[in-house]
Amino acid sequence: MIGTPARFALRMAWRETRGAWRHFVAFFLCVALGVAALVSVGTLAANLDATLGREARALTGGDLELRSAQPLGADAERALDGLRREGAATAVVSELAGMARNPARGSSLLVELKAVDAGYPLYGHVETSPAAPLGVLLAGRAGAAGALVAPELLERLGLGVGDALLLGGGRFTIAGILRREPDRATGFVTLGPRVLLAAPALATTGLLQTGSRVRYRTLVRLPEGASPRAGLERLARLVADPSVRVTAYDAAQPGLRRFFGQLASYLGLVGLASLLVGGIGVAASVATFVRRQLPTIAVLKCLGASRRLLVLTYLVQMLGLAIAGSLAGAAAGVLVQPALIRALAPFAPFALVPALDGATVVRGVLMGTLAALLCALWPLLAVAAVPPSLILRSDVEAGGWQARRPWAAALPIVAGLAALALWQAGSPRLGAIFVGASLAALVLLAALARAVVAVAHRLPRPRGLAWRHGLAGLRRPGGHAARVIVALGLGVMLLVAIALLEGNLGRQVALERKHEAPSFFFIDVQGDQRAAFGRLLAERAGTAPPLTPVVRARVGAINGVPVTRELIDRRTAQAPDKVWYLTREYVLTQAEEPPSANRITRGRWWTREDATRRARVSMEEEAARYLGVDVGGTLTFDVQGVPVDAEVMSLRKVDWQSLSMNFFAILSPGALDAAPATYIATARVPAAAETGLQDSVVAAFPNVTAVPLRAVLERVARVLDQIAFAVRFMALFSIAAGLTVMAGALAATRYQRLYESVILRTLGATRGAVARAFAVEYACLGAAAGLGGTALAAVLAWVVLRFVLDVPWALEPDTLAWGVAGTTMLALGVGFLGTFRLLGRKPLPVLRRE
Amino acid sequence: MSFVIVQVRDLVMRLPSGGRALTILDGVTLGVSAGEVCAVTGPSGSGKSTLLGLIAGLDRPTAGSIEVAGVELTRLGEDALARFRRETLGYVFQSFHLIPSLTAAENVAVPLEIVGVPDAPARARTLLAEVGLAARAHHHPAQLSGGEQQRVALARAVALGPRLLLADEPTGNLDSATGTQIIELLLRLNRERGSTLLLVTHDEALARHAGRVLRLRDGRLLNGGAR
Repeated sequence: MIGTPARFALRMAWRETRGAWRHFVAFFLCVALGVAALVSVGTLAANLDATLGREARALTGGDLELRSAQPLGADAERALDGLRREGAATAVVSELAGMARNPARGSSLLVELKAVDAGYPLYGHVETSPAAPLGVLLAGRAGAAGALVAPELLERLGLGVGDALLLGGGRFTIAGILRREPDRATGFVTLGPRVLLAAPALATTGLLQTGSRVRYRTLVRLPEGASPRAGLERLARLVADPSVRVTAYDAAQPGLRRFFGQLASYLGLVGLASLLVGGIGVAASVATFVRRQLPTIAVLKCLGASRRLLVLTYLVQMLGLAIAGSLAGAAAGVLVQPALIRALAPFAPFALVPALDGATVVRGVLMGTLAALLCALWPLLAVAAVPPSLILRSDVEAGGWQARRPWAAALPIVAGLAALALWQAGSPRLGAIFVGASLAALVLLAALARAVVAVAHRLPRPRGLAWRHGLAGLRRPGGHAARVIVALGLGVMLLVAIALLEGNLGRQVALERKHEAPSFFFIDVQGDQRAAFGRLLAERAGTAPPLTPVVRARVGAINGVPVTRELIDRRTAQAPDKVWYLTREYVLTQAEEPPSANRITRGRWWTREDATRRARVSMEEEAARYLGVDVGGTLTFDVQGVPVDAEVMSLRKVDWQSLSMNFFAILSPGALDAAPATYIATARVPAAAETGLQDSVVAAFPNVTAVPLRAVLERVARVLDQIAFAVRFMALFSIAAGLTVMAGALAATRYQRLYESVILRTLGATRGAVARAFAVEYACLGAAAGLGGTALAAVLAWVVLRFVLDVPWALEPDTLAWGVAGTTMLALGVGFLGTFRLLGRKPLPVLRRE
Repeated sequence: MSFVIVQVRDLVMRLPSGGRALTILDGVTLGVSAGEVCAVTGPSGSGKSTLLGLIAGLDRPTAGSIEVAGVELTRLGEDALARFRRETLGYVFQSFHLIPSLTAAENVAVPLEIVGVPDAPARARTLLAEVGLAARAHHHPAQLSGGEQQRVALARAVALGPRLLLADEPTGNLDSATGTQIIELLLRLNRERGSTLLLVTHDEALARHAGRVLRLRDGRLLNGGAR
């Protein structure tokens, strides 16, 4: 049984909404857009998470995985034998990059090779066309082993199923098309199309040579009922070599999880920004509504309604509208899933199916409802302060009464909104940054709006009617200028910031802009191929590039302390995304002179005497910081079982974006003389000559891998494009919310405009002249929002590039100009749509109504 | 001697206007007996409406006291005043002040709903029938004529059976024929309910219906209003 006040509030709320639903379209849309943004991202994130959890075994390829840069040692094999005796199944997968060639045409292509043994796959299945058992397809026919290739390879090399294919020095038959691998390792950017072959056939390619970069993965499927955790601990205990990474399926794919987690969390913040912009629309809409309701509120007070009853009534009304808007938004958020999934599908190594996640929908509706209520509260509290004596004045005009600002409520409202932001962001740090940035943007845009209104007020009165009335229009009572500038400005800020980030990142991956970057990296040149390779390059590229010796090694000890599994586990727990500094294979080289693009930040480069006395190393500063070594310390590199001790003599800052040959660790001359080295070289040739050079190098040296930088960068650019699409998609919600706020503000001033236009026309102004006056007002609003939003976007983009992505910042004048011009046009467009009908109204009926 | 339901003493009301204080009421003292029909007349700007509004507790006087049905209004807070209004008086405005988003019946039902009368809609319909508008119950104010709107306002004012009816130029926005009908209806409703009617008007013809006429000019009562 509900009490009298609640019953009255419910009844009045319903009647008021019924009578004024048009007024609440903007309110409803603002809430709906914000919630749609949040629910679309949330649903996607939940979907990804559920799929990752469900497919974890297939994604890992087994219950356990052992990953190493060298084939497993005897201790590991013994441990695996033990497991096999207990009923476990194993499969070995080797992954490396290599060159594929069309033997008929000689065209070549960098590919990602994956060699699997008979046990593969342990979980999931490999999708091929034709669909046939993997063993049959890979066995091949007519003396050549079979290879399954990605469709892209057939297209690029002009080959078809059944044709011959050269991989390194081995000849294969294309047995079918590789559609999907359950455990495809997910580097988001692949070097080239995927090729699957049988493990024994890999040896025929000649690609497994000293110094080749191979990833060995041994997959284990435990017998029914065995605990993966126990299996993991046992393997970790028995496998001494710390460079062998042992993981269980539930902790695998950490990179993928982190990537999706971060993407969802950033997209969620963009969604939250839409809700924030929508919140301005909600507050504006409620403020306008309260102004319109002043006579009703005064009458109700006259009839004996208490302040509390009235605030309750309007709160109930806003609650109902907020819930309705949130539900509609949630439905829209679920409906746009297919579009978002299409954008992100290329990253996901599994099929994503649009699915409804109840918790996300509930959370979105709750978030939308609470945010809308909090935003509505500020203008609603004015209801309490409306004096009933307002009714006695003959003109209960909206402009006549000014409510006191309920400042006491401001803090709880802001705190409530901040709490919602923290909830959405999921991390206090991210949430705090979001809240801080939003508050700063709000305050700055509001200050800008005030300044614009003040300047319009102080300017000498322009002579033309359009300018005079247009500028006067900015000072309309009700503060519509501030609302439009703040809301639209926020939306523009997001969209322009994204465009700036895209532009700057795009610059990073555009080869044409990298004047120093080579066209190719040639890797795995063997010692005995050096002379012939140099001759070929001199002939085809004009110059014989220097060949740099490289040796693969891992860090065996730091300052004499061995890198053990315990140390790695401990550091993983501290900073999982940086532990690769400790576990990775380093490519070492030795040099007499420091690379020109590097800057020594500590210590000094070695002299010839320094180098002859003992082995020295110059480390990249970030790596040194993580490893915990400084100038004077020692690093022990494990070069295929042989320890090489080197004293750290200098730290370097490396510009990785230069895309030239860069190294984490450079040793002093002589330090690596005894180690088995391969050679790498770079070449820069005109774009038109790239294919020819690659084909001739690969034909002459099938084991040499040519990494074409242009193609790799294009792949990176494609990935960036897809991410940008998803982010832009979310930002569009904020722009839509911003425009809704503007449309709402126009609707709120509609009667005033109508009256003005009628008066002006009665006094002899043409419709064109009135339209121009309105156009000046809209253009000023749009330009101010555009300028403010664009300026803030530049700051936001600079902060992200400088502090998050560590990418040099370049002002993109085109984007900035578009931000201002586009917003102005948009404001003119929306303004025109909102007012052109007013111009057609006959003056007399309007004046008579006055 | 009958009970004095309204007792106003030395009432002063000043409002700021253009930086100066404008005196609207200047030491008004008057009393109204229960059951009386009393009219306050005066030219426009003489302070009539302000006097009525203060008696309804819609605003706070600058000085003086207002006692209505034994309650000193100047001591009450805003919500207590709201409670006082719904328990004690009904108010009729010159410009009707119906709530535009509600139908005629809903407008009449509002005071009943505020106090939680269980069968508010039915009671509202009965009241509308009493003022001759049974057929217009579901129309919105914009669909009603001025006379009809004022009838709805009358029904709303008497809905809770107030002891005191305050009417502020109730015929001011109506033509004379309609005005006459409204005033007759107002007097009938007042008579039937045994309430007290305090009427503000500048229309001498309307004032003649009252048992006593008080004349206000420049914020002062010309003939003594005290009881």
